Amino acid sequence: MIGLLAAADTLVLFVAASLTKPLQPVLDAFTAQTGIVVQRESGASLEHVRKITDLHRVPDVLLLADADVFPRYLMPAHATWYADFARNRMVVAYTPKSRHAAEITADNWMSILQRGDVEIGRTDPRIAPVGYRTLLMFQLAERYYKKPGLAKSLFDHAPDRNIRPNAAELAALLAAGELDYIYDYQSVAESNGFRYVVLPPQIDLGDAHREKDYESVSVQVRGASPGTTTTVRGEPILYGMTIPRAAPHPVSADRFVAYLFSPAVVKQLRDAHVDMLANPVVHGSGAPAGLRGGAGR
Amino acid sequence: MASVIVAIVASLFLLFIVGPVAGLVGSGGGRGLASLVSDSELRQSLSLTALTATTATFLGILGGTPIAYVLARRTFRGKALLAAIMDLPLVIPHPVAGIALLLVLGRGTTLGSALYAAGLRVAGSPTGIICAMLFVSAPLYVSAARESFARVDARFEAVARTLGDDAWRAFRRVTLPLSARGLTAAAIVMWARAVSEFGAIVILTYNPKVASVLSYDRFTAFGLQEALPVAAVLVLLALVPLAALRALRKE
Repeated sequence: MIGLLAAADTLVLFVAASLTKPLQPVLDAFTAQTGIVVQRESGASLEHVRKITDLHRVPDVLLLADADVFPRYLMPAHATWYADFARNRMVVAYTPKSRHAAEITADNWMSILQRGDVEIGRTDPRIAPVGYRTLLMFQLAERYYKKPGLAKSLFDHAPDRNIRPNAAELAALLAAGELDYIYDYQSVAESNGFRYVVLPPQIDLGDAHREKDYESVSVQVRGASPGTTTTVRGEPILYGMTIPRAAPHPVSADRFVAYLFSPAVVKQLRDAHVDMLANPVVHGSGAPAGLRGGAGR
Repeated sequence: MASVIVAIVASLFLLFIVGPVAGLVGSGGGRGLASLVSDSELRQSLSLTALTATTATFLGILGGTPIAYVLARRTFRGKALLAAIMDLPLVIPHPVAGIALLLVLGRGTTLGSALYAAGLRVAGSPTGIICAMLFVSAPLYVSAARESFARVDARFEAVARTLGDDAWRAFRRVTLPLSARGLTAAAIVMWARAVSEFGAIVILTYNPKVASVLSYDRFTAFGLQEALPVAAVLVLLALVPLAALRALRKE
């Protein structure tokens, strides 16, 4: 019995909350095909970072919603490379049960969300990328729509009590009817079957060609120790992944990465509303041979 | 020989319980207590925790005592079912308990929308925290209170009744004084359980943060070093109810 258990290979996977739902069928298929048992842990990016840096629980593969987290927290001590592999966009998600659901459009979303009779939720900017991306989007919206004070007003109308630690928990609240509108990723809205307002590409952080525009806004988020702050600049949303240096099952990790970026799986993820890059863009050194040399965007 | 083995096992078990706690207080205790002065977020969180746990405990005593008494004294159809229902929250995983509460008290439900319209917000408020605490810790009070009542000889109550007291008077003048220590101990256990709850609370109310949520938040955002003082302070403050329990037993 023990021998049987030891024989099944394992893959430990830490994955961004927003990616979990679309990824699950891929994991199931991977297990069916290879017999490798996948232990998946889902959560906000910083939750995963802390598990690695402070609790010394290292996964085989790490998939995060913000590629920037790798150089900021994990390199070089825990990883020597990372690869950008998917894009995403900010949207305003809602359901048919939401107040004013019948009225809201891409043109009037700001006024509806400032009305005060709707419950609006967002994610904690201190631990989840989607949280600070929401704040960056507010600022971009203020400039784009030329309405001074808009950023602060949108911020005030998504109060602390409606903040949740990660994108998936926020989506759960919307599904439960507890919230009317949430600021979340397009992929999360799609995979949960929510309706959503498509925001202009100038503000949704989804367009890889608008780096310069996005860069012009920034937010202060909590820094690495209490009382300190860090400046985060706007940039196109990029999901990143790596195999950490201390991965416990490197062979399984390599197999999974090869599987993840195989054309069939990329297509499967795209069908599940994950905007996969045509080829992953690798930074750093030591990545598996199959990944390197991607043309990217 | 047997007593030596028992002593060794008991010592190892004691070490297992004391070790982590001592380690926690040792690495974070001093800094934690010191930070109480400067860290207003920590102070607010601790007072919110104490307030909500105490409120939840009072509500638990109010609603749970009659149920405990009935379970201790009466026999009726469905008694076993009632007892099982009262124990259910203990076996439900905590986040699931939070979701269950949301499904009944959330804004999108019949009861919840009525509450919301009346101005009582459950999710995202201290009310939600109290509901989560009450749900997961009340069973502990009810089962301990039931034991306390059961240990009071029913004949004393019967004697009081024959002497002219009605049921409520007999309870107040006979049963209650005799079970008071047991009930107090039960309430303290419930309070301690309420203070340590995390999973159910986080589903209903993430902000404002009680101490358990704050320690997790500090850990996620800043790492172990910053989370330790919060945890250590919690442990030190938790000594208060424990000391109260000890004082009760000594009498």
